[in-house]
Amino acid sequence: MRQADGNKAPFFKNWNGWYISLIIFLVLLIVLFYLFTKRFA
Amino acid sequence: MSQVDWIVLVGTLLCIISYGLYKSRTTRNLDGYFLSNRSLPWGLVLLSIMGTQASAITFLSAPGQAYTDGMRFVQYYFGLPLAMIVICIFFVPIFSRLKVYTAYEYLENRFDSKTRTLTSFLFLLQRGLSTGISVFAPSIILSSLFGWNIYYTNILMGGLLIIYTMSGGAKAVAYTQQLQMIIIFTGMFLAAYMVVNMLPDNVSFTDALEVSGKMGKLNVITTGFENGKFNWSDQYNLFSGLIGGFFLALSYFGTDQSQVGRYLTAKSLKQSRMGLLMNGFVKVPMQFGILLIGVLVFSFYQFNKAPIFFNDVQLKKLESSVYKDSLAIATAQYETITALKQKAVVDYSAASDINDKDAKAASMSILEGLQKQSDSLRKSVKGWLASKEVGGDNNDTNYIFLRFVVDNLPIGLVGLLIAIIFLASWGSIAAAINSLASCTMIDFHRRFTKRKETGEQEYKLSKKYTLAWGIFCIIVAMFTYNVGNSLIEAVNVLGSLFYGVILGVFLVAFIFKNIKSGHVVFWGAVLAEILVLTVFILTKVGIFKMGFLWLNPIGAFGVIIFSLILNKIIPKKIALN
Repeated sequence: MRQADGNKAPFFKNWNGWYISLIIFLVLLIVLFYLFTKRFA
Repeated sequence: MSQVDWIVLVGTLLCIISYGLYKSRTTRNLDGYFLSNRSLPWGLVLLSIMGTQASAITFLSAPGQAYTDGMRFVQYYFGLPLAMIVICIFFVPIFSRLKVYTAYEYLENRFDSKTRTLTSFLFLLQRGLSTGISVFAPSIILSSLFGWNIYYTNILMGGLLIIYTMSGGAKAVAYTQQLQMIIIFTGMFLAAYMVVNMLPDNVSFTDALEVSGKMGKLNVITTGFENGKFNWSDQYNLFSGLIGGFFLALSYFGTDQSQVGRYLTAKSLKQSRMGLLMNGFVKVPMQFGILLIGVLVFSFYQFNKAPIFFNDVQLKKLESSVYKDSLAIATAQYETITALKQKAVVDYSAASDINDKDAKAASMSILEGLQKQSDSLRKSVKGWLASKEVGGDNNDTNYIFLRFVVDNLPIGLVGLLIAIIFLASWGSIAAAINSLASCTMIDFHRRFTKRKETGEQEYKLSKKYTLAWGIFCIIVAMFTYNVGNSLIEAVNVLGSLFYGVILGVFLVAFIFKNIKSGHVVFWGAVLAEILVLTVFILTKVGIFKMGFLWLNPIGAFGVIIFSLILNKIIPKKIALN
C-alpha cells in the first residue's frame, strides 16, 4: 500500500469520525431490529 | 433443469471465467501475483472482502436458517462492525507500514520465526481443510437435488476457478469477485421479488410478515436470558453476537490470510480502511436481507404445499426403510395440517383487513397450534432419519431455499440462482487458494529454500502452488463425501478452536509492547490452545454447556493472560534467548 496517496479520512476531519459513525449505525440497527421484533412478535 | 436454465448457468460461469482470464494480466512477480501491485480502489477491496466471506452456504443456509429458526442468526454479525474498527486502528497501519505479504510475516518481526511458522502452519492446516469442505458442501446439495455425480460436481465447483486464480492471482480474484457479487445481489433481489409476488392476492406483504412474526420467525433480537438466567449454550443472541462475534470477526479479518490478502491489495492505507469500514456498514443489513428471504419463503409455504423434509434423497431413503408406513401417515397428516394452515392464514388476513381483533386472535391461535403440529411431524421425520436403520443427514436447512427455487421459480431464474451457488463458492474458494499459495510461498518456500530465485521464477512457482492447493482442496472434498456430513459441522467448529488463539498472539503483539520474547508468546499460545481444547471437550461430554462462539474470546484472552504471567515468571535472559 503506497503512502503517497495519503491517509486522510474522506468526509470527516479524521478517522475517528468514521469509527463513531459506524458505532452509531450499529446501535441504530440494533434498535430498529428490536422495534421490528417487538412489532411482529 | 430446463434447457434455458442450463444456458443461463453455463453462460454465467463461462462469462466469469473469461472475465477472470481477461483481467489476469499482471506484473510477473510476487507483488503483482499476490498483491495486485497494491493498486486496487476501496470499492473493489470491499467487494473482494465480501466475496471472500460469503460462501455458497451463506446464500443457501441463511434463508433455510430463517425458515427453521427465525432471523436471530443475524446477531452473529453484530460484532463485525466493531471488529472492522479495531482492525483499522491496530492491524492495517502495521501491515501497511511493514509492507508484508502475509499477516504472519509481521510476527517474525515482532517475536521470532517459530511464532510466525506456528501461526502460518495453523492457518494452512485449517484453511486448506475448510476450503475443501467449501467445495464439498454446495456440491453435495446440488448433486442431491439434480442427481448429478458428486465427483464431477466437486471438480466443477473447485476446478474451474483454478483456471483464472492460477493465471491472474489476486487481481483476477478481486475482479471476478466484483462481477460475482453484482450477479449474486441481482439474483437474490429477483428471488425476493418473486416470493413476494407469489403470495396470494388477498395477502399483503405486511400480513405475510405478521404471520411469520407470530410463528416466531422474526425474532431478530434475542437476549439469551431464560427465566432470568443467561443461557450459555444459546448460539445466537445479542451478547454472543456482540462479544463472541466480535472476536470471531477480529480473528477472521485481522489474522486469516484469505481476508488479510484482500485488503493488502488496496492502493493505500486509506483505501484499505475504507474497504473494511464499508464492509462494517453493509454486512449486517445484507445478512438481514438474506434472512428475510428465508422468512418470506416460510410465508410462501403457509399458502402452498411444503415438503415434509426438503432433502429428497434422504426422504427416498426413508421411503424404502422400516419407517415407510410411519412416513406415509406423517405425510398425509402434514398435508391435512398444511390445508388447515392455509385456511387459517386467509382468515387472519381477512380479519386484518377489517381490523377485527378477536377474529385475528382466533385465527392466529389456530395457526400457532397447527404450526406446532407440523413442527412435531418434521421432528419425527428427522428422528427416523437419524436412527440406525436409516442413518445419514437429518438436517435439511441447506436444502430449503434451493428446493423452493427449483420447484417454484420461473425458467431462467432457476439457472441464475444455481449459477449464484457456483459464483459464491468460487469467490471464497479462489481467495482461499490464493492466500494458501501466498503463505506457502512467503512463509515457507522463501524462508527455507537455499536457492536465490528471480521474481519471474518466484511468480512461476507461486502459480504452481496455487494449482497444487486447488487440487488439494478438491481431493479433500472427494474424501469428505466418504467421511460424511458430520465432518462439515466439525470443520465449522474447527475455526473457533484456533482462531481465538491466533488472534491472541496478534493482540499481544499489538498491545503489550513490554512482551518481547517469542518464547513467552509461543508458550502462552500453546497453553491457551490447551485451555480452549479442554473447554471444548468439557462441553462435548456435557459437563457444562456453551456455544462455540465463546471459544474465540477464551482463546484470545487465554494467550494474553498466559503471556503476561509467563513474562513475569520467566527470567528475561532465558526469555530473550
